[in-house]
Amino acid sequence: MIAMKGIVKEFPGVLAVDHVDFELYPGEIHALLGENGAGKTTLMNVLYGIYKADSGETLINGKPVRINNAVDAQSNRIGMVHQHFSLIPAFTVAENLSIGLKDGGFILKEEYVGSKIKEAEDKYGIHIDVNRKVDDLSIGEQQRVEVLKLLFRGANTLILDEPTSALTPQEAENLFLSLKALKAEGKAIVVITHKLYEVMEIADRVTVLRKGRVVFKSMKAGVTSDILAEAMIGKGVELAKYKKEEVKAEGSLVIEKLMVIGERHDTLVNDATIRLNKGEIIGVAGVSGNGQKELVEALFGMRKISAGSITMGGKDITSSNVKARVMSGLGYIPEERKTKGVAISLSLSLNSVIHSHWGAPYLVNKMFNYTAIRKLAKQIISKFNVAAKSEAALAKNLSGGNLQKFIVGREMLNEPDYLIAVNPTSGLDIGATEYVRKELVDYRNRGKGVLLVSEDLDELLALSDQIVVMYRGSTSPSVNQKDFDRLKIGAMMLGEGFTR
Amino acid sequence: MNFLSVLFIFSMAVILGMPVRAAPIFAAALGENVDQQAGTLNLGVEGMMLLGTIVGLAVLVYTGSYLLAFLIAGLSAVLLGLFHGLVTITLKADQVVSGTAIWFIGWGLSGYIYTALFKTTEIVVKPVPDIYIPYLTNLPYIGKFLFGEDPVIYLLLIAGIGINFFLYHTKGGLNLRTVGEDPLVAEIMGVNPTLYRYAAIIFGGFMAGIGGAYLTISIVGAFEFDMTAGMGFIAVALVYFAKWKPYRLLLGSLAFGAVYVFYLTIESYLPSIPYQFFEMLPYIVTMVLILYVGSRAHAPAALAMPYIKEG
Ligand SMILES: Nc1ncnc2c1ncn2[C@@H]1O[C@H](COP(=O)(O)OP(=O)(O)OP(=O)(O)O)[C@@H](O)[C@H]1O
Ligand SMILES: [Mg+2]
Repeated sequence: MIAMKGIVKEFPGVLAVDHVDFELYPGEIHALLGENGAGKTTLMNVLYGIYKADSGETLINGKPVRINNAVDAQSNRIGMVHQHFSLIPAFTVAENLSIGLKDGGFILKEEYVGSKIKEAEDKYGIHIDVNRKVDDLSIGEQQRVEVLKLLFRGANTLILDEPTSALTPQEAENLFLSLKALKAEGKAIVVITHKLYEVMEIADRVTVLRKGRVVFKSMKAGVTSDILAEAMIGKGVELAKYKKEEVKAEGSLVIEKLMVIGERHDTLVNDATIRLNKGEIIGVAGVSGNGQKELVEALFGMRKISAGSITMGGKDITSSNVKARVMSGLGYIPEERKTKGVAISLSLSLNSVIHSHWGAPYLVNKMFNYTAIRKLAKQIISKFNVAAKSEAALAKNLSGGNLQKFIVGREMLNEPDYLIAVNPTSGLDIGATEYVRKELVDYRNRGKGVLLVSEDLDELLALSDQIVVMYRGSTSPSVNQKDFDRLKIGAMMLGEGFTR
Repeated sequence: MNFLSVLFIFSMAVILGMPVRAAPIFAAALGENVDQQAGTLNLGVEGMMLLGTIVGLAVLVYTGSYLLAFLIAGLSAVLLGLFHGLVTITLKADQVVSGTAIWFIGWGLSGYIYTALFKTTEIVVKPVPDIYIPYLTNLPYIGKFLFGEDPVIYLLLIAGIGINFFLYHTKGGLNLRTVGEDPLVAEIMGVNPTLYRYAAIIFGGFMAGIGGAYLTISIVGAFEFDMTAGMGFIAVALVYFAKWKPYRLLLGSLAFGAVYVFYLTIESYLPSIPYQFFEMLPYIVTMVLILYVGSRAHAPAALAMPYIKEG
């Protein structure tokens, strides 16, 4: 049994973990729940030795231990799967599993890895081909590699940081089955999450953090998701209803018979047609990997268009570059916040002008006007409730949710006529999710068009005026709000109504 | 002489001279390859080779031992490597800047040592004797090429095979490549990035020193100022060309050697063309090769990036 007592961890300006007690028992799945920035990752990084606590201690079976780095953690049989995987994409699975391995001799042997994998397969139902390159694996498969890596090193305490955030429901289900099998073997498992239903489904015990403190702690039996939701976000936060207003605005963004051909000469977007009017949210539904990503990239100017056209307010932008598109009124909230949404190691100030740095007031006489830039950053931070120390903070020091609020704010304050948002609430907690959704609806109400691409069908149903389904690169005719039907759209996502 | 026989003589000359000309660059590139796979870019190879040229020569003159000459030449370059390591690994400074400094240090030191030791007298040494295997070496055409080189060439070949095996078939090699891909992952997996980077830099320095010594002892037989003439940089470039695979390094070095001998052979026939143009040839060919083959290569993801831990 592991006990963390009175753990405190402060980052410059943020008390990330504030006198937290946390217990972990063998044979249990312990859900660590909390909003973005609640301190979940930080607490577990302390347990795993990546961060050193400012005060407090960790006990294993009653004995104080010092865990100062990953090697210490491993020798205490603790393993962690980080939100961002610790895998080398250029290596095969077998190679990734063999890094730093002490046993099994000096020579690399795939058979050795293979035979050990076989055990895991049989016991926990984790299947993977060890000869494949990690680069070619899906996120779900990569995660399996991560879990295997821990088991390989004999971990009996497993920490998983938001393991399902990038998984398909099917993959998540498989992961849960494996976790249950591991638990039955007596392993102690921590699952960091902010999805309530996951807690309800797999946890035996739950701890809720809010602003670095433990606000709730209990066995799951007898706990309802309402209780957890309240603990997580505090009292008094009404889940917003989205007030949609009649908007009169002229103009539309028209994607007409768009074709995108991939590097391997495969058709990624096939004859896609979407008409987005101002004052309207069009939802793009679809199982991930059906061309949504490529469509958006082509729309924003990051991918070559093979045929078809894009016009914006009557102006043809099919062959314009990104800058020209942004200047004629297109905005983009990408899914990959850290790599495409911001320049991660720059300050929030500089990040605030990513889509506006080429003109006044931010660029004067070909030089940055830092006064104006800082003012903009401050405005984003205060208007969109970004929890950041100041506009000089680096983007990489923001938690996921706050980073997203910042990006949403930046794009909206740039006032594009049409805003593309891709999975804008993925990985966000309830509070941040509601916030972003409300902002999107407000933006629409101000007479702007929003193209909302999302894997969350409920989100699309709640926000959209019309929904277009994408399947194998093609688009369906748009479905009007009054005809929204969960089951029907679900069936379309699986190919119903599309010609093969 | 008809055209065919001229062609034949040319190709024999090129083939016979090729391994010798390829050796210094292969040695240095092999070291650089290991360096880069651990994530350290060493642009100072040129300087390390230069130091090796004079140290190798001096030790040979004073001790008469080829073994000591090569060994100490290698070790002298290791010292420069350790300096590069201290600056870039421990103090986390920029690798390009440090590498450039190493180049100048090696360049300056080599000239200084020569003048200090030998004033202006020209020192000439004999190359390492070629091996001789009865019958085999006497085989027509290929005998000399395959069985009559000097021992250093065979040792380098063995080193190349050994390094290839180490990098791609052992755990140590895997750990080293992990450090070059992502030192943080290495650390999380219990591999010490600092240790591996230093080890790689030591090996890289040693090989560059050997390459330099080979140039003075076995090719030229004497020291000239700045005699590597950019070979160290070509070695760095070759590593890219070879996509970090030692066997491709061998091919690249041989190509370089072949073009080099080709120009040595042909230049006397074409006196009207300034010899400088011929001298450029191996470098141009190497560049073209790199453009052609190297562009789609997967470089170690953390190449030239210092490893700085956070938190
Ligand atoms: N390396 C760091 N430097 C400075 N501040 C940090 C650092 N890491 C985290 N923080 C801050 O500490 C707080 C807790 O962050 P943490 O990542 O633990 O939250 P979390 O609960 O995991 O959130 P999320 O659900 O968004 O992942 C946040 O305010 C964050 O900005
Ligand atoms: Mg987190």
